[in-house]
Amino acid sequence: MKLNIEGLLVYFPYDYIYPEQYSYMLELKRTLDAKGHGVLEMPSGTGKTISLLSLIVAYQKAYPLEVTKLVYCSRTVPEIEKVVEELRKLMDYYAKQTGAKNDFLALALSSRKNLCIHPEVSSLRFGKEVDGKCHSLTASYIRAQHHSNPSQPVCQFYEQFDAVGRQVPIPPGIYNLDDLKDFGRRKGWCPYFLARYAILHANIVVYSYHYLLDPKIADLVSKELTKKSVVVFDEAHNIDNVCIDSMSVNITRRTLDRCQTNVETLQNTISRIKETDAAKLREEYRRLVEGLKEANVARETDMYLSNPVLPDEILQEAVPGSIRTAEHFVGFIKRFLEYLKARLRIHHVVQESAPQFLKDIYEKVCIDRKPLRFCAERLRSLLRTLEIADIADFSAITLISHFATLVSTYSKGFTIIIEPFEDRTPTIANPVLHFSCMDPSIAIKPVFGRFQSVIITSGTLSPLDIYPRILDFHPVTTASFTMTLARTCLCPLIVGRGNDQVAMTSKFETREDFAVIRNYGNLLLEMSAIVPDGIVAFFTSYIYMENIVASWYEQGILENIQRNKLIFIETQDAAETSMALEKYQEACENGRGAILLSVARGKVSEGIDFVHHFGRAVIMFGVPYVYTQSRILKARLEYLRDQFQIRENDFLTFDAMRHAAQCVGRAIRGKTDYGLMIFADKRYARADKRGKLPRWIQEHLTDGSLNLTIDETVQLAKHFLRQMAQPFRQEDQLGLSLLTLEQLQSEDMLQKIAQIAQQA
Amino acid sequence: MASLSEEVLLVVKRVRQRKQDGTLYLMAERLAWGPEGKDRFTVSHLYADIRCQKISPDGKAKIQLQLVLHTGESTTFHFANESTALKDRDVAKELLQQLLPKFKKKANKELEEKNRMLQEDPVLFQLYKDLVVSQVISAEEFWANRLSLNSVEHSLSNNNKQEVGISAAFLADIRPQTDGCNGLRYNLTTDIIESIFRTYPTVKQKYAENVPHNMTEKEFWTRFFQSHYFHRDRINTGLQDIFSECAKEDEKGLKSMVTQGVKNPMVDLLSLEDKTLDEGYGTATVPTTSNSSNKSLRENSNSAIIKRFNHHSAMVLAAGLRKRHQILTSLFVAFQVKLQEAIEYDDLQGDSGRKTISLNLKKSDRYSHGPIPLQSQHYSTSQDIINSISIIQHEMRSYKPRLTQVMSSSAASSAITALSPGGVLMQGGGQQTINQLVPTDVQSELKHLYTAAGELLRHFWSCFPISTPFLEEKLTGHLEEMLQAAYNKFQAWQTRRMMRKT
Repeated sequence: MKLNIEGLLVYFPYDYIYPEQYSYMLELKRTLDAKGHGVLEMPSGTGKTISLLSLIVAYQKAYPLEVTKLVYCSRTVPEIEKVVEELRKLMDYYAKQTGAKNDFLALALSSRKNLCIHPEVSSLRFGKEVDGKCHSLTASYIRAQHHSNPSQPVCQFYEQFDAVGRQVPIPPGIYNLDDLKDFGRRKGWCPYFLARYAILHANIVVYSYHYLLDPKIADLVSKELTKKSVVVFDEAHNIDNVCIDSMSVNITRRTLDRCQTNVETLQNTISRIKETDAAKLREEYRRLVEGLKEANVARETDMYLSNPVLPDEILQEAVPGSIRTAEHFVGFIKRFLEYLKARLRIHHVVQESAPQFLKDIYEKVCIDRKPLRFCAERLRSLLRTLEIADIADFSAITLISHFATLVSTYSKGFTIIIEPFEDRTPTIANPVLHFSCMDPSIAIKPVFGRFQSVIITSGTLSPLDIYPRILDFHPVTTASFTMTLARTCLCPLIVGRGNDQVAMTSKFETREDFAVIRNYGNLLLEMSAIVPDGIVAFFTSYIYMENIVASWYEQGILENIQRNKLIFIETQDAAETSMALEKYQEACENGRGAILLSVARGKVSEGIDFVHHFGRAVIMFGVPYVYTQSRILKARLEYLRDQFQIRENDFLTFDAMRHAAQCVGRAIRGKTDYGLMIFADKRYARADKRGKLPRWIQEHLTDGSLNLTIDETVQLAKHFLRQMAQPFRQEDQLGLSLLTLEQLQSEDMLQKIAQIAQQA
Repeated sequence: MASLSEEVLLVVKRVRQRKQDGTLYLMAERLAWGPEGKDRFTVSHLYADIRCQKISPDGKAKIQLQLVLHTGESTTFHFANESTALKDRDVAKELLQQLLPKFKKKANKELEEKNRMLQEDPVLFQLYKDLVVSQVISAEEFWANRLSLNSVEHSLSNNNKQEVGISAAFLADIRPQTDGCNGLRYNLTTDIIESIFRTYPTVKQKYAENVPHNMTEKEFWTRFFQSHYFHRDRINTGLQDIFSECAKEDEKGLKSMVTQGVKNPMVDLLSLEDKTLDEGYGTATVPTTSNSSNKSLRENSNSAIIKRFNHHSAMVLAAGLRKRHQILTSLFVAFQVKLQEAIEYDDLQGDSGRKTISLNLKKSDRYSHGPIPLQSQHYSTSQDIINSISIIQHEMRSYKPRLTQVMSSSAASSAITALSPGGVLMQGGGQQTINQLVPTDVQSELKHLYTAAGELLRHFWSCFPISTPFLEEKLTGHLEEMLQAAYNKFQAWQTRRMMRKT
């Protein structure tokens, strides 16, 4: 249907529309008009992606000079591919309606592992191997060697692309990962580098967060994206953690040992080159004198991680003289390494700030701040000069150099924690230096600064005001949308007590309590008897799940559950869990029914949807608080309190509730879907917890569904499931939660729609 | 004596049968007994014919072994060697125990199949009664070309039959009971054993290897329940446990399942992340759990339980699924479908195409033709009908009764009586009357005779062309007799009927 969104003609590739989609598009349009940033929360399964795409594409078509590019960031590879498929659907609709040929170029970009078509390289299983192998075939010096010595193997696909691929632009169209590969195969071009090159002039780019948020990668990939882009972060409820992760470094004794061997290799290579090809080193020295800029004419295939600090922090001056020659630099690194080794030889926990660390290093080994800042760049230059083939071997020294650069660049927002052992095993020495970023706004700042509109959206962003605060930006729109429903297809229940009236909670003091574990078991057992097909249960942590499963096993609860359903359990091994997950789906598919025991914050809770019969009930055992004894977390909480005036408890609760909402939200994917959401902890009933759930869940939490016993829960669940099992037709939805174009245009409907969005 | 080609597995001397001393032979395919001093067997049973063996209770004076055949007959052997009787009997029993199941499967299947056919087809059952029970032809001959005839249909109907899955809790259902003196008693049924075997093929293999050479069945299961394998949360320590190997095998199986990876990329957690952080970056604590040395014993056992549950569920699921005809769609297509499914909002779509269920027809010709036979008819076109109606209408309009020329009343009434039921002109429908005249029991008897004769004729004609001496013998020998017998039977029936009538 064709919509009129405040004067903008939007093609929407469906015959019907959800009211909230219309409302979402309105808010989105206002954000784009204002050239500002937005935070939008809309429940998943209400067609968020297609609404976003429809509106932004229409905007791009209407105002091609205002918005030239859409950068759509998603989290997982399947998500990326889903977005591209939705886009294809939209573009097909455009072509059908307007009759004009599609002139948009949209493509997905992913790592080499997902795009490589080289027969040998692509058969490797791990991303790192693929990257390494690719580098050994495409690095600039390898290709230079190939010129003089044709027996040196190179990648034909890259050579082909390099020869002709840049002159001929990729024809307009929608390219998913497989389409890119097909295209690459047809032309004989490398799809990865083709995509890397094509994103510069593509209208729509879909890729993962890291290409924009991790400075080490963003500098290589996304450096030249135009300012007039709209950036969308979908599933952005975890964006702060992504930002923090991309700037944090951990150094263990093993890292240092490997770094030691790296240094030795470097030394040997340098002395060897000195004998054979001293001119090369002299040339490098000359370039460094002239300044880093010239040293920086990197080739795109040279895959050294870029500088870990943000672009505007990178020094534009010449490398200081003390580390200009290769030997001096290696000596410098050695000194730094020895210092780190000494720091790791401790028996008590040390926590200090970056300036303290710099002061100490100056006093102990006379290392200045300035050469430290150049470490990453200098190492990059050296590795290139030495023509190191297998770059993966040098990850340790690269890590150390990144740490050096980061610690000397940022004096605020980071903390250094050195722990001599793990908390759980105080007898085993395992010293770790955590250099940890506490301020997610550091990594995302350039994104907000550079692009005219950044949209942060997800199904669970409540409470909305906290994201602008921790990411330090000022949105022009902040809105939360509810889900209009013709039937209440979600049923949140808070179970607070067992049938024996013992409170159910995963609170630290009582979590090992026998009665609590038994009641949790009984809840699962009762639910397994009444819920059809699949049940997913989430625990607060992996260790807690292990303990509970063990005691359920001893008490015979699992045996009884097995009478009703098969049991699959997430493990710490991703491959094993994938298998369990597939078997779980198989069991749901063939009617046996199954239970999946899983962990909040785990891979399953973050990336897997349990649509329809794959998840008729989700049980959240306990409140998934983060492990609060961690020093890194404590430091971060302190920082949040001091910098952003966010109280520790508020943040912890916010963090726990967003994960709980993420977990239970996995079960609902659309209005025809239905599912029970069971929060098994009495603490959920408190207003401070409940109030932090997304609005679309909160709405259905009545007073009657708080602090229930197991029996009451079973009664309510039975009733709900029986109702939901009735046939649900399109006519039931029409006019309420599903609109035709005429219904949409009616006056009172527009008024109703205005209420859907709640401005924060 | 026995033909040389037969392998004799066991010879037991001094075995009495019908109060006669003799020797019992267990051969590769049959069991035989010959009286002492004679060089032929008076008793010989194929293993396939034996339904089960029974032994006399331990305390009894006579040490006997009874074989019950599928036909219901039984043969009893009495082991008469005083000193070794019990041992002899047990040896024979154990050997039979191994041999019988091998043949049983085949025999059972056939028997079941025959049984099923007889139950499903009343006509066939009657025919069987007429021909086999009255010993016109032998059962073998009766089935000889029946089975092949129906094999196609049979395989069809068999495919539709669903195999019963395994309860996930079958191990939990084995409730141990205390036997009152510090022991536990497990009750195992064949169903449970079957479930264990289907779910854990390694146990089955162990069973085949060890029972009965190394241990008795009872001992095997006792060990099973004592083993660490059954109680997987205990850490494996003893190597003497025969099931430690099973555990290892399972581990291997699990590993291979894991390394195979998953087919559905949407659930593949390994390839979910696009770009993982390099090692050393990020705030997540470095995983140090890889070395299990610093893991406590309890943690190890916990993760063993979790592994076990995953494995158990996977095995139960796999055992429940029949080997499906795997449609080898390429991974790519499957993924495309999944993607499309994932982005589809069927309620937003206008014409949400209802998913239809395909009709599964056993006999498609019957469906397309329907139960009514097609008759050749002269069809009139609609134009013809309209024409004739208009003609009739036209005639009716111009119809005038000519009362002067009507029939006399007496002639009219005689015509009516002639046309009424029972009248002269109403006796045409002969078929009906024969149906009504002959009582149903006579009809059905005649029908049976007819089908029986038809069956015999079928046998007769199936002998042509006479290509083998066997066929010739069949034709000239007993088929003739059989036809004669059938004819006699018919004659007998006819005279009996006549007698009754008169």
